[in-house]
Amino acid sequence: MSIEAQEKRQGVALVTPALLWTLVFFAVPFGAMALMSLAHLEGREIVQGHDLGNYLRIFTDPSLRRGIFVSLEITATVTVISVLLAWPLAWIIATRVPQRWRRMVLLLAVLPFWTSYVVRSYSWALVLGEKGVVMNALVGLGLLAEPVQIMATRAATVTGFVHFFVMLLTLTIYSNLIQLSPNYARAAQDLGASQWQVIRLVILPLTLPGVMTGAFLTFVLCIGDYITPQILGGNNELTLPQLIMLQLGRRGDYPMASALSIVLMAIVTLAYAASARWLKMERV
Amino acid sequence: MRYLSWVYLLALFTFILLPVVTLVVFSFQDGRLPVPPFKGVTFEWYAKVLSDRAMMEALFNSLIVALLSSLCALTLGFLAASGLARVILPGSALMRGALIAPMTVSYLIIALGLLQMFNQIGLRPSLLATGIGHVVINLPLCFAIIYAAIGEHQKSALKAARDLGAREWQVLWLVAAPMLMPSLAAAFFLAFTFSWDEFIIAFLLTRFDVTLPVEIWSMLRSGLSPETNAVGSLVFLVSIAIVVVLELTLFRKGSK
Amino acid sequence: MTADVHINAVEHRFNSFTALHRVDLEIAAGEFIVLLGPSGCGKTTLLSIIGGFYTPSEGQVLIGGKDMTHVGPKDRPTTTMFQDYALFPHMTLCDNVAFGLRMRGMSKVARSEKAMEMLDMVGLADKAGRKPHELSGGQRQRVALARALAVEPDVLLLDEPLGALDLKLRRQMQDELKAIQRRVGTTFVHVTHDQEEAMAIADRIVVMNHGRIEHCGTPEEVYLTPKTLFSANFMGEMNRIPVSAAGASPLGQLDVPAGEGLLCLRPENIGLEGQFSLGPARLTEASFFGAHHRCHFTPVNAPDLTLVAHLPQGAYPQVGAEVELFGRDPVILPPAMTEAA
Repeated sequence: MSIEAQEKRQGVALVTPALLWTLVFFAVPFGAMALMSLAHLEGREIVQGHDLGNYLRIFTDPSLRRGIFVSLEITATVTVISVLLAWPLAWIIATRVPQRWRRMVLLLAVLPFWTSYVVRSYSWALVLGEKGVVMNALVGLGLLAEPVQIMATRAATVTGFVHFFVMLLTLTIYSNLIQLSPNYARAAQDLGASQWQVIRLVILPLTLPGVMTGAFLTFVLCIGDYITPQILGGNNELTLPQLIMLQLGRRGDYPMASALSIVLMAIVTLAYAASARWLKMERV
Repeated sequence: MRYLSWVYLLALFTFILLPVVTLVVFSFQDGRLPVPPFKGVTFEWYAKVLSDRAMMEALFNSLIVALLSSLCALTLGFLAASGLARVILPGSALMRGALIAPMTVSYLIIALGLLQMFNQIGLRPSLLATGIGHVVINLPLCFAIIYAAIGEHQKSALKAARDLGAREWQVLWLVAAPMLMPSLAAAFFLAFTFSWDEFIIAFLLTRFDVTLPVEIWSMLRSGLSPETNAVGSLVFLVSIAIVVVLELTLFRKGSK
Repeated sequence: MTADVHINAVEHRFNSFTALHRVDLEIAAGEFIVLLGPSGCGKTTLLSIIGGFYTPSEGQVLIGGKDMTHVGPKDRPTTTMFQDYALFPHMTLCDNVAFGLRMRGMSKVARSEKAMEMLDMVGLADKAGRKPHELSGGQRQRVALARALAVEPDVLLLDEPLGALDLKLRRQMQDELKAIQRRVGTTFVHVTHDQEEAMAIADRIVVMNHGRIEHCGTPEEVYLTPKTLFSANFMGEMNRIPVSAAGASPLGQLDVPAGEGLLCLRPENIGLEGQFSLGPARLTEASFFGAHHRCHFTPVNAPDLTLVAHLPQGAYPQVGAEVELFGRDPVILPPAMTEAA
């Protein structure tokens, strides 16, 4: 056997355990789920089938179809707001905060990362509730006559999400910004650009690929999350993950839950296909 | 502009820190509801949490699951990364893609798929099932981090080790692992954190023995309570303590 | 401790690209061989085949008379010194050098002793406890050499080991390499693209191009009597003048040995006196290089040609002056040898 063949055999031997694991515990379950999405429920029995009935229902049943739009609307809102809030914050930390405070300030900016995810949503419920800190302050200051309901609305879900993703995006954009050579800004200023022009024409475009990556990550994590909408948004309008959990919990409708999951995945894949092309072009 | 910057910074920091500060402050609430007005300081809720058997068990379960699943993901990822970095195999790109793929899929979908498969083969929801799920989500992460750390320099050091007569396990154990230690540590630390904090997989794949996030979740059902605040604050403080310790030992040493 | 190497009709292909075309090479035990050529000429591929990192697509590799064609690097009596040194960053110098001995099952005491001996040879015994990142480039290079030699290989393979060093250090390391090779007696096969380095250290130079051996000989042979235009050019600057079988050239009738082809003259072999006349020429440009003046001449008979000559420090005509040029030690390459370049 040639030396290359021996090398290859050893290489394959090293990769095989991980590949097997991924095959058995990721690919196979996924395939089983795809198959399950073609079945349907009769009473409490799952009947194997090969029709697209579940998918048809998702796009015709108003309550299910609505879930797709609710998820997309919330995710889009969250992604846009988070990017708009995080960019200036990252820029201020990277350029305005004195060097020796920077690390400290950055750590503080992502401090809530260290609470557990469930607790983070819970603490927003605490803050936004009718008797919570925010309403207390607003009524106390005379800005509101009486408390406004925020909890169990989309506003609460969006707030909880934005809180998390502002931290995430601040981190990614900040690391992007400090990698830029300060000479870009100097060169632009030297050529007569105002500070605003430097940001708009030089710094912002240079960070765009990083921002896009962060935005995509936000999109993926946000649209697949169950906890935040469940704790903060309540049951008035349901997102896709909430609908999936509902199918499981209430009726044990695995076929419908599987079909909804496939739809969720398709959305993420489409988003990836759309942004990947765009990202590549930006990187050239 | 300068003035505006500081106002913005202050506003955003208020937004970011408000829930955490509220959480911690009202964990000391001497009353039944963790909302204003603040009625005075008590440690009653902490005492309650620490004597809550189910909570302590969940905490222990979480530690075990996080530790074992990250070790497993780390080992598999390390082996796969060394294998793929070692030779260009036909289909190398495909294998890399396959190993990374779970990273792009929502945890909920992974959990649902595993739940159905485990139902089929008769594996009951358990910590083992949860651990398997956590390896699935952390393997791509570990693989990607370690694979990225093996550059031309590392490859040629591994080649040199073989040239000097090392067997494959010696190459991995004596050269690759110690050489890649910083990224192995980073991968382990991240995987541990993700597993420790993961909710949806654990929620669907456990039943009687649960992990901490699931236990906290079931506490939420009974509404707002300073006890939940206390649990959250404890997790928060422990995490920060761990980060500080790591920062002072591991990473300081690494950066030297 | 030392062995000869036979490369028999070795051909190597990467997919559709042929990196080596039926290469034959005999290396004697204890010889210092340099594989010289531009990047992509196949020299590193040949070294990897000797080291056991590739199996050749065809042909045979014998080391010390044994067929090693299908034996992996681990089991060959060769060690390689890598271009980037490939030192283990987490080990001390002593552990680095002792690594190969450890793999051979040598006891800790014995291998430390041997490692110290090797470090002493390269002048780094006082730094045995340091880690590679605390060393300079030249020191790392020495550690890599000590590590590769510690296992007492029959053949040491060096893959552009001096490439990362600055010029001055490089010249110094060449001398050290040569001295160490003389001392240990191991066969050295050294790859480089620097012809000065090759001439400084080689017993024999193997000039390679496009996967073929162009010329194989001592530095003098390769430099003074190149067999092909490629190796003539690669070894240094060369003036080329087409001549007919009867000695006719654009410069006029030349008094050179008979033969049609290209007359090749090194710049130092053109001067104001010599074995045969090159006719009158005008000096168009001159610059001082310390040891010589580098001069551009335009022959009066062939204004399209430029001849480059190195004139001695003292003899330096004025730019624009017309002089008669002479040549020495002519090499005439027949047309068949001038195609590949």
